[in-house]
Parts: sequence; C-alpha cells; structure tokens
Amino acid sequence: MIKDVNIKNLSFSYGRDTVLKGVTTSFPAGKLSIILGRNGSGKSTLFNIIAGLEKRYTGEVLIGNVERKKLKTGAQDTTRLGFMTQFHQTTFPFKVYDVIMTGRASFSRFSPRDEDHDTVTEVLKRFALWHLRNKPYTDLSGGERQLVLLCRVLVQKPDILMLDEPTNHLDLHYQVAVLECLQQLVREGTTILCVMHDPNLAFMFGDAFYVMRGQELSSLQDLDSSAVKKLLEETYQLPLMGLDNQGKPLFVPQLKQQ
Amino acid sequence: MKSSLKISLLVLFPILLMLASLALGSTGSLSPSALTMHIYNGIRNLFQEQTSPNMVETILWQVRLPRVLLTFLVGAALASSGGVLQAIFRNPIVDPFTLGISSGAAFGAALAMLIPVLSINLSAFFFGVCAVVLTYLVSYSKVRSSLVSMVLAGMIISGVFTALLTLLQYLSDPYKLQAIVQWTMGNLHTASWDKVKTAFLPIGIGLSILVFFRWKLNLLALGDHEALAVGVNPRLLKLLLVGVSTMITAAAVAAVGVISLFGLIVPHISRMIFGPSNSIAVWANISIGGSFLLLIDNFSRTVMPFEIPVGVFTMLIGAPIFIYLMRRNAINWNA
Repeated sequence: MIKDVNIKNLSFSYGRDTVLKGVTTSFPAGKLSIILGRNGSGKSTLFNIIAGLEKRYTGEVLIGNVERKKLKTGAQDTTRLGFMTQFHQTTFPFKVYDVIMTGRASFSRFSPRDEDHDTVTEVLKRFALWHLRNKPYTDLSGGERQLVLLCRVLVQKPDILMLDEPTNHLDLHYQVAVLECLQQLVREGTTILCVMHDPNLAFMFGDAFYVMRGQELSSLQDLDSSAVKKLLEETYQLPLMGLDNQGKPLFVPQLKQQ
Repeated sequence: MKSSLKISLLVLFPILLMLASLALGSTGSLSPSALTMHIYNGIRNLFQEQTSPNMVETILWQVRLPRVLLTFLVGAALASSGGVLQAIFRNPIVDPFTLGISSGAAFGAALAMLIPVLSINLSAFFFGVCAVVLTYLVSYSKVRSSLVSMVLAGMIISGVFTALLTLLQYLSDPYKLQAIVQWTMGNLHTASWDKVKTAFLPIGIGLSILVFFRWKLNLLALGDHEALAVGVNPRLLKLLLVGVSTMITAAAVAAVGVISLFGLIVPHISRMIFGPSNSIAVWANISIGGSFLLLIDNFSRTVMPFEIPVGVFTMLIGAPIFIYLMRRNAINWNA
C-alpha cells in the first residue's frame, strides 16, 4: 500500500484571510518529513487539514491515493493515520497505562482484549516507561507526558504519523529522545510528518524539509546550502550564519553589532 | 489482591444492604432469621400459590421490596448518568440535571397533575427529554459546540422550565400545589410494583449499554481531538451515550421526582475509591449509587416517626460527606 501524502492545489481561508494558497507538494512514504515556518504561517492549518480536523478546504489532499474527506476513521483496510496535537491537558488523572490503552480504541468495540494489553505493554517497555504505568498521567513531567501521548498514538500502529511540534516544552534530553524515536519508527516503515520550530534540530534528524511562508510551502529538496540559507533568512527575517554540525547544516542568527 | 477485594465489595455490599433494608421499616424491624423465613416463604409462594401470605409478608412483598428495588434503580441511574456525562463533557461539575432534565421533568409532572388526562410518569419523562433536546439544539453550532456553551444552554433551558413550573404552581389550587411541591422533593414512598416495572426497562437497558461501552468512555474523556488522533470518530458514540444518560435520568425522575445533586456527588465518591478509569467506575457508580440512595432512604424512613422526602436527606447527608472529601482533596480530578 502506498502510504505517502500528496497535496494538489490546496487553498484555505478563514473568512477573508487566506492562509494557504495553491499548495502543491508531496510527503514521501517511509520518511521523516519536517515542516518549518514562522508562527502563524499556516503550518498548523496545513497540519489540521491533513489530520482531518479541518474540512473546509479546496483542492486535493490524497492520503495513500484516497481523498482525505473520504478516508474512513477506524476502518481496518484503509491507511491508518494517527496524529498528536500540541500539549494536552486531561481533566481526570487516568493512569498512564489507561491513557495509552485508549489508543487501541479503534481495534476493540467494547473492552480491550489480550492483544491490546500486549501492544500497550510492548510500547511501554520499549520507551522505558514501564515503571510509570500506574502513575496518574497528570503527575508526569512535560517530557514524560509527551512520550506517553506519543506511545498512545503509536499503539494504533499508524501507517502515517503526524506530530505538531512534538519537542515543544521539552528539555534537550527529551527533544533528542523523541526525535531519535521518530527516526527509529521511520526505519520500521512509518511515514512521519512533523511540524517543528527549530530548523537545526530538524536538520539533525529529518529526511525531507519544507518551509511554509507567504501562504505557500516550498521544498528544500533540490536546494544547495547557500540557497537554503537564503530561504531561511527570508523566512525568519534574520541574518544567519551557516555552520557544519557533524555533516548536517546548522544555522545560527548573526549577532547585531553593538 | 486489594482490587479484587474492592470488586467483591461492589457486588456484595448492595445485596446485603438490600436485605437489611427489607428488614427495616415503620411497621417494625425483622430479625435476620425472621427475614430469611419470610423470604423463603415468599419465594415458595411465587411457585405454588396456596398458602395465604400473612400481614408481614404482604408488607415485605408489596411495600418494602418494590421500594428497595426502585430506590436502588433510581440511585444507580442518577449516579451512572452523572458519571458518564462528567466523562463526556470532561467536566467534574456536570450532573444529569445540568442539561435541564430535572426542571423539564418537574414541569411535565406538574402539567400532568393539573391536566388529569396525562400520565404524570410519561409527561415527566417526555418533558425531561424535551429539555435536553432543546439544550442540545440551542448550543449546537456547525463550527464547534463547546462544553461551556452546552452547560450555559442547559442553565437557560432549566430557567425557562422553572419559570413555567412557577407559573403552573401560581395558577393551581392549594391541594394540587402541595402535590406538585411534594413531587419535586422526591417521593420514594410512592414506590409500587407498577413503578418498578415502568422504570426497570429504560433504566435496565440504559445501564447495560453504559456497561458495554464503559471502556470507550476513557477515550471520550480525553476529548474529541484525542479520539480522532487514534482513528476513532467520537460523534456517534457521544450522541448514543448522552442519549442513554438522558433516558435513564428521565426514567428515574419520572418515577420518583427530583433528587438533586445525587448524580453529581456519587461519581466523585466512586472515582475517589476506584480511580478515574471508567472500566470500573461505571460499575462502581451503579453499585455505590444504588446503595447510597438506599442508605439515605432507610434513614429517612426510620429516623423520624413520619417520612421525610428523600430529596431533603440526600442533601443533608450528601453535602457534609462531599464537603469533607473536597476539603481532604481526596477527589480525583484536575481542572
């Protein structure tokens, strides 16, 4: 099954505010694609459209050759798409185990079966969260919560995984931990789409890069490093300095002369 | 194990309490051995109708048993529906009456008392459901229906029905006014086999549906986005469960009148003892809700030489317990 995401001539506006104008792009299967851009540039809108939360768009969004609006949730035979939005606050202090178990809801009509318990146990052990299984989710630190939510999406075994700023609110340790885990998932065949703020963290772990600006999405695929630098300078409106970071590009803002 | 002990208590406690409640009453209490004998006779009479039952047995079977059963059903219904709505609306201050059921039902009952053609039970049920549908329609918007707008709409619809009820009370003669006021205070003392039969079907079916879907409530309690995030469209399930909660609440109110705040308090007690997971909280609400109302009813029919409406005692007993738990921070929620 083809598990990539193809977007053709996608436009979206809130009232008179055009947010996306004729976006045409494709996110390759089995890769970690990262979307960069300024706050309010429309990254989250694009994310919501692909995730199926926003349906009032024009143009085509194809998930593995099926139009997004026709993709059935919960059906076993179609592409499974899981997503994780930004920081989530729950009202009730569910145990970590119970929170992750809800990720299996599309598999069981009523109560979870042995298979569901096995999957949750496996994912908890894999992410070294087993010791937290009986802790209330609300007592966890921000980093632990983010990992738990990631596990919750993962037990759904998604073909396509979407993440909106997964490293937000995390310390450096958890930023790297989350991104390494995403790399591992890509190696196992998952297609990942990720909205991120930090271009350098993105370049260290991602496979394909996109920049959202001026209501359009440009791919960095065929650009050389000086063109990338120029594009990022225009996007973030900052003079940048390009450095080499263990073979990956690293861009830091140039200090203003005092 | 500790949790298996808790679960067996969930099953055993209501049964023992029901038996104890049968033995209690204004016409004299029974010893355990006398109760056992009467129950044995009663069961035997079910199958072979020859011995004419004595007075004690008539009281047991025609007065106390239907009352005990109805009380348990109503308590279980109100508590379960409160627990389900708190989970779905992700709000610990929601109870079955937030959406307007109680004022709608009270208005329906009063209307039926003034226009004798209508059945009080059916009219209360109908207007209770009407109020919730109105609340839904008022708060529904295509873009997004928020929890706050739903609760606000419920308050407004409640207000409208309360105003209409006041109007009816103002227009009615003193005897009917007294009947209306008594009805709205909760009237378990009017329990009969007929009421048990009418209430059993909707409440029994409703509670079974809630039990079947209890685990999915955990998913709904995380919010719509979190359900979609793992490939589940929550809309149908939410509609079904809110509908079921409305049905069992309306059936309970139609049978015994308004017992306010009961459906708010019990889910908190259940969560405190058994934790927030709805896999067990749904069972706990049925067991604790039924038992708690039974306890309160036993209290209200034995403490004083005359009967006090159960609605009064739920508040007088429930409020201190709830305040104590709240002060101890033992209650399981974050807001």
